[in-house]
Amino acid sequence: MLDLIWLVPALPLAGAAVNLLLGRRLGKAAGRLATALVALAFAVSVGALLDLLAHGSEERVHVTRLFDWISAGSFSVDVAFLVDPLSITMALVVTGVGALIHLYAIGYMDNDPRIGTFFAYLNLFVFFMLVLVLADNYLLLFVGWEGVGLCSYLLIGFWYERPTAASAATKAFVTTRIGDAGMLLGIVLIFVHVGSLDFGVVFDEAAGELTQGAATAISLLLLAGAIGKSAQLPLHVWLPDAMEGPTPVSALIHAATMVTAGVYLVIRSHVLFEVSGTALTVVLVIGLISALYAALASIGQFDIKRALAYSTMSQIGFMFFAAGMGFYTGAMLLLVCHAFYKALLFLTAGNVLHGLHDETDMRRMGGLRADMPVSTVWFAIGALSLAGIPPLAGFFAKDHIVGFASTSGRDLAWILATIGAFLSALYIARPLFLTFFGRRRNEERAHEAPGPMQAPLAALALLTVVGGLVLGVTPETGRLAVFLEPVVGAVEHGEGALRDGALIAISVVVAVAAVIVAYWIWASERVNWQAFPERQPELAGWLANAFYLNALYAWLVQFPGKGLGRALRVVDERVIDGAVNGVADEVEDASHLAPAIQRGFVRTYALAFLLGAVALLLFLGLRIV
Amino acid sequence: MSTPISYFLVVSAMLFSIGTIGVLVRKNALIIFMSVELQLNAVNLSLVAFSRMHNELDGQVLAFFSMVVAAAEVVVGLAIIVTVYRRRRSASVDDLTVLRG
Repeated sequence: MLDLIWLVPALPLAGAAVNLLLGRRLGKAAGRLATALVALAFAVSVGALLDLLAHGSEERVHVTRLFDWISAGSFSVDVAFLVDPLSITMALVVTGVGALIHLYAIGYMDNDPRIGTFFAYLNLFVFFMLVLVLADNYLLLFVGWEGVGLCSYLLIGFWYERPTAASAATKAFVTTRIGDAGMLLGIVLIFVHVGSLDFGVVFDEAAGELTQGAATAISLLLLAGAIGKSAQLPLHVWLPDAMEGPTPVSALIHAATMVTAGVYLVIRSHVLFEVSGTALTVVLVIGLISALYAALASIGQFDIKRALAYSTMSQIGFMFFAAGMGFYTGAMLLLVCHAFYKALLFLTAGNVLHGLHDETDMRRMGGLRADMPVSTVWFAIGALSLAGIPPLAGFFAKDHIVGFASTSGRDLAWILATIGAFLSALYIARPLFLTFFGRRRNEERAHEAPGPMQAPLAALALLTVVGGLVLGVTPETGRLAVFLEPVVGAVEHGEGALRDGALIAISVVVAVAAVIVAYWIWASERVNWQAFPERQPELAGWLANAFYLNALYAWLVQFPGKGLGRALRVVDERVIDGAVNGVADEVEDASHLAPAIQRGFVRTYALAFLLGAVALLLFLGLRIV
Repeated sequence: MSTPISYFLVVSAMLFSIGTIGVLVRKNALIIFMSVELQLNAVNLSLVAFSRMHNELDGQVLAFFSMVVAAAEVVVGLAIIVTVYRRRRSASVDDLTVLRG
């Protein structure tokens, strides 16, 4: 199976090709075909995983070279796929969660006339994402990286008739492009210093010969790409707007897979970041600040999907925070578990949107648990998992990371992370209570989603419940941590100011307290939360507008941009057009002289001929004489 | 003794001048056309005269050419004049000033 790894990306690619060419004719079968191919890719990935497990833990690296891609002088790049514990974990998440979301999308996109195109894009996305995670060198990774960006653009703007969707798509593409430019420079720098882009060669060289300065430069440039793709500060502004896309897209691309590519990149390149040291600290700080910032912003949102988008950003902040501490297995555990429960949350939000005819404002929901009992259960499982209520997956993942901050002696980071955990539980319990509990604020009766849409949710809910227990009960000996150890190294258990038991207790108390506070504010009817924006207009404004960073960027980019545009317009109109039009005007003025002798009387012309002929004859005659 | 060449040339020049004045002073397209024919035939006359003076046939051959071409030209020219007359009820060249600058 390991040699057949190329099938994993090839299957979704085939699906994309078929759906693009024949999507219109296939009709509803397009979704089934796309789902089946992704599920098949998942099956191949499982086969590869089993093959990998059959080897000893130190031999679990397998590179499949398909063909020479670029060969120019000393620069050569192959199309080669790397199967190791890290990449196969990512591939399993992408294909597994991806297949479930595809299955859900069949029902969700049922009435869309362009369903074939939709599934073609979705399959294309899975293909590029798999290229990204399975690539054996930075250039191939970059191809996947840009490819998922393209698909993200296409899918955010899928309903391009809506101007907001079209501009959100452009915003996402342009914003991530800023980071990607840095990443491309980083890749060039790797080649300059190492002379190869293959992961194996780069990491071997990096550990020995790379200077700290070079490693820092490379790492920070790669980090720029990671920040753009993973919507971390300061390149996060595109993610909330990206919610204009169809909900399955939000679940697959903007929650479970693509936005975690940045975390994957950092973990994959951890050798470079460690040589640098500084870069790792930057990762930690950016992650922590993003986590807290996005958590606060999420509390201010009333659009259910935007609240979830900020929650995604916050969770990825936690992943970066973990990676920045060198706790890569913790970051991966959160990545995997987050993929489960965030996909669950988004798809359940999709059920709500479906049931309420695309109503996204939580102020006009409330009390939906009577109409949608099953969806309520799904959302509750997802939300409580994110909040960190044991024994759900999110509890283990987040608890490990927060606890690691303490056991590795970073007390300030631990305090901030604990605050972040409290805010996470608060912001995710909020949509749960606002949407499904409390007073009914919408006359319309919602209808529960049909069975085919509930099946993938049941699977995701199951994964959310057992994921943590199966993959990582403890930070050091969890299954995922042990599995990933050959790639990212073992987790060292340090001694912090607090004992493990105390850390876990604090973590649980914080989560439970936050959920209770959320219930008290948003569901108990004792707090008039709807009056909050009037009572505290400033604070509400800061939260709802995510601290006005969007406005700040708009101001920073817009004013110089418009000024430059105006200046260029003057140059264009006065100098360039002026020169061209000036020449034309002169020619036109000169041409007004000609009509004076073109009076239209034939006799005038005849006379002119005669005079000309006489003049010529006189001239010739005089010369001869 | 044959007639001196100058007699022919004088007649030819007189015909050509009459034709030229006709072209310049008349308005009616048909008259102008006739005047042009007069000019052509004036030239034909001098061609034939020179041909006889030099005892060579080149000039006469050229005169035949110009007659044939003139005949063809008359066909086309008359057709144009008739068409213009039908559309405008006038054969005056002074009315045909649409293409002035």
